[in-house]
Amino acid sequence: MQSKTEFVKIIKDNEGLIYKVTRLYTNSKEDAEDLYQEIVYQLWKSFGSFRNESKISTWLYRIALNTSITHLNKQKRKGNHQPVTDELFNKAETTDVLTEERMQILYAHLKKLNTIEKGVIFLYLEGKSYEEIAGITGFTVSNVGTRLVRIRQKLIAEIKK
Amino acid sequence: MQKLKNKNVMELEEMKTLWSEMSAELEKQKKLTDLIIIKMTQANYRSKINGIFIPEVIGSFICLAMGLYILVNFYKLNSLWMAVCGAAGVLILFILPVLSLRAIHTLRSVNILRTNYKQSLKLYAKGKLQFVFVQKLSFYLGAFMMLVLLPPMCVIMGVKDPFSHSSLWLSYVIMFPLFYFMARWVFRKYMSVTGNAENILKELDK
Repeated sequence: MQSKTEFVKIIKDNEGLIYKVTRLYTNSKEDAEDLYQEIVYQLWKSFGSFRNESKISTWLYRIALNTSITHLNKQKRKGNHQPVTDELFNKAETTDVLTEERMQILYAHLKKLNTIEKGVIFLYLEGKSYEEIAGITGFTVSNVGTRLVRIRQKLIAEIKK
Repeated sequence: MQKLKNKNVMELEEMKTLWSEMSAELEKQKKLTDLIIIKMTQANYRSKINGIFIPEVIGSFICLAMGLYILVNFYKLNSLWMAVCGAAGVLILFILPVLSLRAIHTLRSVNILRTNYKQSLKLYAKGKLQFVFVQKLSFYLGAFMMLVLLPPMCVIMGVKDPFSHSSLWLSYVIMFPLFYFMARWVFRKYMSVTGNAENILKELDK
């Protein structure tokens, strides 16, 4: 019971993080809800074995990003959706209009990046250091730097279009 | 962002600031309740993931049952030609499910907890390539199986000379155009999925 309370608290504390990942990796509200539930489910599944092994944030980012990669398309999984996260995905509508508008532009650019780049840029935007990004993704620190330079160039080219 | 667009420059640091603003905004909007979280962790949710696995298992059982049916009635195939066709069909019926289930197993075996982002991407891309390859192979083998199994199946059902029956030839006439259009569709799908997976693998090595 203690672990359940602990888990619920972790999820509550990090609901924004999961929301941001799902928004980055999906293109529809339904798919985002689906991925959100899947991430929470995967976190719960691995909760027991994670403890005392790594930093909680590393664990969270790793599971969230890995789940996003293996997340199957919505079309392949009809019929079992539980709309428990409906309210959660109304966040965007209630936030500051200007911020939301700017975020939509930012997300539109980020979504054009490939899967690998999405993961790296997401961690960078989350304020992670190159070392932390390397720890979560498995790339070397210098490779993270190189990738971020490439991502920046790609984004500039994208905006110029 | 508009300002940034006008300047044609997007600095990562500026994106980071915008991202932080959003994160702070999200922090204020706590919406998850204990009940929602518990609901999300319920095991029945997992059934969604089996969307591919279950049909494949059912398909495997059908293949196996068909194969066994032909084997049990194999003695009815009294010419060498029929026996060869029957044996080829049975072989495909037994091989296809094994290949398919093995490919799905690889796809499902990505260990989300133990592997990092790079490893997961690599495993998933490889698994996807294998899965789509098996799908393509299954399609062509399946078509070949239909071709060789129709005459022996007719014999098993009691038709003495299936080649003298117009319905057998009619089946082939219907089957071939259908096969052609399906093959084109499968090939396009195959190219798109494998292209994406191959790009991920190439990109990982950069």
